[in-house]
Amino acid sequence: MNNKIDLISLEITWNSLKSIADESYITLMKSAFSTNIKERHDHSTAITNSDGKLIAQAENALPAHLASMGGLIQHVLDEYKDNLNDGDIFIANDPHVAGGTHLPDINMAMPVFNKGTLLGFVANIVHHADVGGAAVGSMSGGLNEIYKEGLRIPLVRLYSKGKIVKDIQRLLLLNMRLPDERKGDLNAQISACRLGVKRIQELLSKHEASYLNTAFEEILKRSKLRMQKAISKLPDGNYTFTDYMDDDGLNTKNIKISVDIKKKGKKILFDFSKTDGQVDGNFNLTFNATQSSVCYSLKALLDPELPNNSGIFDAIDIKIPTGSLLNCVAPASVALRLNTCQRVVDVVLGAFISVLPEKVTGAANGANTSAVFAGTNPNNGKRYVYLETLGGGMGARFTKDGKDGVQVHLTNTSNLPVEAIEMEYPLRVEEYSFVENSGGAGKYRGGLGIRRIIRPIAHKCEFSGVGERFKHSPWGVFGGQPGKPGKFYLKHKNGKITNLSSKSSSIYTNENDAIVMETPGAGGYGNPKKRSKNNILKDKISGKFSNSFLKKYY
Amino acid sequence: MSWIIGVDVGGTFTDFCARNNNSGETLIHKRPSTPNDPAIAILNGLDEIKLKFYQSKKLQISRLAHGTTVATNALLQRKGGKLALVTTKGFRDLLEIGRQVRPSVYDLQVDSPQPLVDRRNRIEVNERIDFTGKIIKPINKNELVLLEKNIKKLKNIDGIAICLLFSFLNSSHEILIKEKLSKSFPNLPISISSEVQPEFREYERFSTTAINAYLQPEVGMYMKNLKHGIHKINPNIEVNIFQSSGGLTTITRASNFPVRMALSGPAAGVVGASETTVKTKFRDLITLDMGGTSTDVCLIQNGKAELSNLRDISGFRIRLPMIDINTVGAGGGSIAYIENDGLLKVGPISAGAVPGPACYNLGGVQPTVSDANLILGRLPENLVGGRMKLNKQKAINSVKQISKKLKISIEQAALGIIGIVNSNMTRAIRAVSVERGHDPRLFSLMPFGGAGGLHAVDIARELSIKNIIVPRSPGILCAEGLLLSNLQETFVKTCRTSLEGNFRDIEASIKELKNRAQKWFLNEGQNVGKKSLLLFIEMRYVGQNYELSISLGDIIKKYKMPPKRNLKNLFFNNHKKSYGHFDPQAEIEIVNIRLQAISELKSKKPKIKMFKNKPKPISIEDVWFNSKKSHKTNVFKRSDLPPGFKFKDTAIIVQEDATTLIPTDCELYVDDQLNLVIRTN
Repeated sequence: MNNKIDLISLEITWNSLKSIADESYITLMKSAFSTNIKERHDHSTAITNSDGKLIAQAENALPAHLASMGGLIQHVLDEYKDNLNDGDIFIANDPHVAGGTHLPDINMAMPVFNKGTLLGFVANIVHHADVGGAAVGSMSGGLNEIYKEGLRIPLVRLYSKGKIVKDIQRLLLLNMRLPDERKGDLNAQISACRLGVKRIQELLSKHEASYLNTAFEEILKRSKLRMQKAISKLPDGNYTFTDYMDDDGLNTKNIKISVDIKKKGKKILFDFSKTDGQVDGNFNLTFNATQSSVCYSLKALLDPELPNNSGIFDAIDIKIPTGSLLNCVAPASVALRLNTCQRVVDVVLGAFISVLPEKVTGAANGANTSAVFAGTNPNNGKRYVYLETLGGGMGARFTKDGKDGVQVHLTNTSNLPVEAIEMEYPLRVEEYSFVENSGGAGKYRGGLGIRRIIRPIAHKCEFSGVGERFKHSPWGVFGGQPGKPGKFYLKHKNGKITNLSSKSSSIYTNENDAIVMETPGAGGYGNPKKRSKNNILKDKISGKFSNSFLKKYY
Repeated sequence: MSWIIGVDVGGTFTDFCARNNNSGETLIHKRPSTPNDPAIAILNGLDEIKLKFYQSKKLQISRLAHGTTVATNALLQRKGGKLALVTTKGFRDLLEIGRQVRPSVYDLQVDSPQPLVDRRNRIEVNERIDFTGKIIKPINKNELVLLEKNIKKLKNIDGIAICLLFSFLNSSHEILIKEKLSKSFPNLPISISSEVQPEFREYERFSTTAINAYLQPEVGMYMKNLKHGIHKINPNIEVNIFQSSGGLTTITRASNFPVRMALSGPAAGVVGASETTVKTKFRDLITLDMGGTSTDVCLIQNGKAELSNLRDISGFRIRLPMIDINTVGAGGGSIAYIENDGLLKVGPISAGAVPGPACYNLGGVQPTVSDANLILGRLPENLVGGRMKLNKQKAINSVKQISKKLKISIEQAALGIIGIVNSNMTRAIRAVSVERGHDPRLFSLMPFGGAGGLHAVDIARELSIKNIIVPRSPGILCAEGLLLSNLQETFVKTCRTSLEGNFRDIEASIKELKNRAQKWFLNEGQNVGKKSLLLFIEMRYVGQNYELSISLGDIIKKYKMPPKRNLKNLFFNNHKKSYGHFDPQAEIEIVNIRLQAISELKSKKPKIKMFKNKPKPISIEDVWFNSKKSHKTNVFKRSDLPPGFKFKDTAIIVQEDATTLIPTDCELYVDDQLNLVIRTN
């Protein structure tokens, strides 16, 4: 037993800290303006200690935001350590100089003081619907430097000693396409910061600052120990895995992502040295983004209930040369990072195939398939932009098939209802279904991809899509077969088909050409010969697999 | 003498609250449930009440109001029917894809449940209606013949769900198919989405309709048996069933729309809670219904609970108005354990009813919240009513596993378990209140259920809540709420219109809904009580994904649409309350019109016996409030405490169905309705 703090008070204090992060999260969600936060919940909140170590995160905070908030505060400490005031709020988004992972994610942090001494920070992060740059939404593919992707915000003060720095606010808003909405969302972030600080100060009226500091230390230590315990149970050894991304949408194809894992005792090193260098297209990751992906994978494999805080980072070593795809340097472009993050997860899972046979899965759809439809609505003459991200197959598992048509790993955003799409935009959804035969065969089969067919009605429509695993199929494990890759194509009135590339931008269509998006399935688990008759029968009866497919593999 | 009976059937107990409609005399009774056929417990219970209170003299029952978990359990245990689903061509996978999200971000092994209809049984029809309600692909005859043939091929079908795109705007295709299939399959119940939930958003509508069809065989059979049994007692007894939306409906309608019973039981508790404080100043309440595995929390403002329109029950999505009850994974059976980080955690895993807490002596060995309460002297070893004797030694043995590992005393460990479960509940209640735009400090806390009263004061203190109100009979508040509920039916129509646009459609829709409501009053609102028609308009900013419901009050006498300016202001106020801001410039649209018809039923207020008494404690126990030493504490019998009674020391108040703990530094007062009012200092 620890002699400084009793364990029951520690658990209750930890609960209070999580509750503060939760309350900030809900406040942000409720006071935000854009649907991206209100309904898709693309935001996170956290509390850090005075060294910028993440102590507690909101229950629903996103795994992709994990490392970014701590990253920001490191920069605050490096640049402003001796110049921090009560009432300051810092803002930043830049991946290269301020701890961000892509520009739409705007970070904020506010210091908490106890009698003039820094106790910690509250921080939050929001995916803003637009931060300027070449195209609406600041998420367009095919951009080769970060300057084109949107406004870069270095670490600056938005509030100084409780007063707004108007010059900064004006500069930011002028560079964003929907300034009113942005202002509303930024205000929501500010409210969340202030509420968090207020709640921590209430906690300070019940406990001494020294008690809270001790609690912070204990939380970090215990989370690190919990992670190390889980790591210790893995057999010592070196594990490696390599996979390839299709392309960067510009000029690099077959981009190699490779990991060498060295595990000894309670230490584990993820060495990505053999991964390719950064690319021109905007699929690069900053170190923080890679770190979040590795932490996600390890948590999912070893201890899904593990609390999200810096204690986990402290238990893991990651080595990536600067200038790598996974540790890029300016002016690398990064907007579509999530596709690469998904592949890092696949590679880490792949490396553990022989070590954790009961935990790993066949490769999932490995992408964050997205589609943008834009044009002028003939019904009201207004311009519209409709963005959708599509799920796909989930990899097969030790005891069961992979789930069909679902968001996997680092993303879990919902779709828009078909009836909402048709009422909102001049588009008709003709089909929303599973892609038959797309799950890799196996003792347990991979999940199916999703097919969505959209026909523009009475106008010219511009389609842009970003897909991955259109060429490099999601692999199976232990003899499981790969899932079917994804594809985009146009289906013409005469029945002919025109294939589109996985990174398609500005394809113009009209009522005669329906756009078909098929997302990748997922890899199987185990030898197909071992699949039970009952499961094969289910595949047949459900119509998810054709007779010829079943005949070929079983 | 005629009696009204409220019966709440839960997983473990079936609760009765009977009231004489002339004298207001109230009887309460609790007996074990009979999960295989819940009607048995109801019928036997009625006999037991007669025997217990009236020596088997005839008890003239005029009406029985029933809350049931039969629908919820059928869904949880997947005991529903085997279905065929008919849907628009291109969309047979929609029900399975859902919103394409997974239930747990980090856990690779957890999936949403398998859909209620097998893929083979989901049959597409070549038809299409567009977003204006226009038919762009009519159904031809051959298509219907083919459909009939396809359904005939399916084996052992118990029911059919018909779910087509845009049927909320134009139901003609759904009706056409229903007519055809009901001729070919006269014995199969058919649910169609334009009747079950005629609202925009296909997945939620399809899912709600499929759940309805799934529940129809099981719930229909139960309702039939119940009706038969009750009518054997007396064919004139009126039987009503409680809906999740907070009102009663007829047994026929309940059989046709069983999905509306998904939260039947817990929702009635909220009616009971609100009625309890009718004559007091405590009209803003947070209810805390603590059971074995979980605790239900609901916010009541000015006596009214909010409704929510969307809820997942065991992974299945239901979109219907339901009293906004939130479930927290903490209860008396929540298990305490040491996590890998060396810290003590409590729940959400529960020992449930079987094996139950270690002290139940039913084979449970893991330490639970109830075991901790028993060790601390807060829960009496002999539960009043003599239903069960708790085994303290077993409780101690279980909690020892914790105290040994943490190297602390057994009382410290027990206090730790209570402290942590309370902090879990506090965290959840805080999140629920903030999410709904409320400050919990402005509310009073009302614990009910068996264990709520043991934790209420501690939780109230954590939330900075001043007053705690414990109702007369906390263990049967749901049954009491049933007694006091009215008949209720909701009519809804989607008619998307810009607030700046022409209101012709809106006016026509309101008229149509009003006609339907009048018909309902005639056919089903058979009582002579007061009738009301509450109009709600659901609006949003263009581009938003969810609507806010604006109440326009009772339109039973006369109706006039308020000026658009007023509608706008109502929307702004609601938006500000819900989201913290509003935009006076942005375009607003109306999405749905909802009309709630209420037909009041006659129910007498309870007769409270006034008595004077100087209560004496039935015992004095050693109760632990801190880990240093125990505190001599008076144990009172609830029925000994007269109105006006005041007490300033620690106390335990026991009654048949619940225990209330008064810790240090509070004041107890018994009000004239015999509620316990506890004030924290």
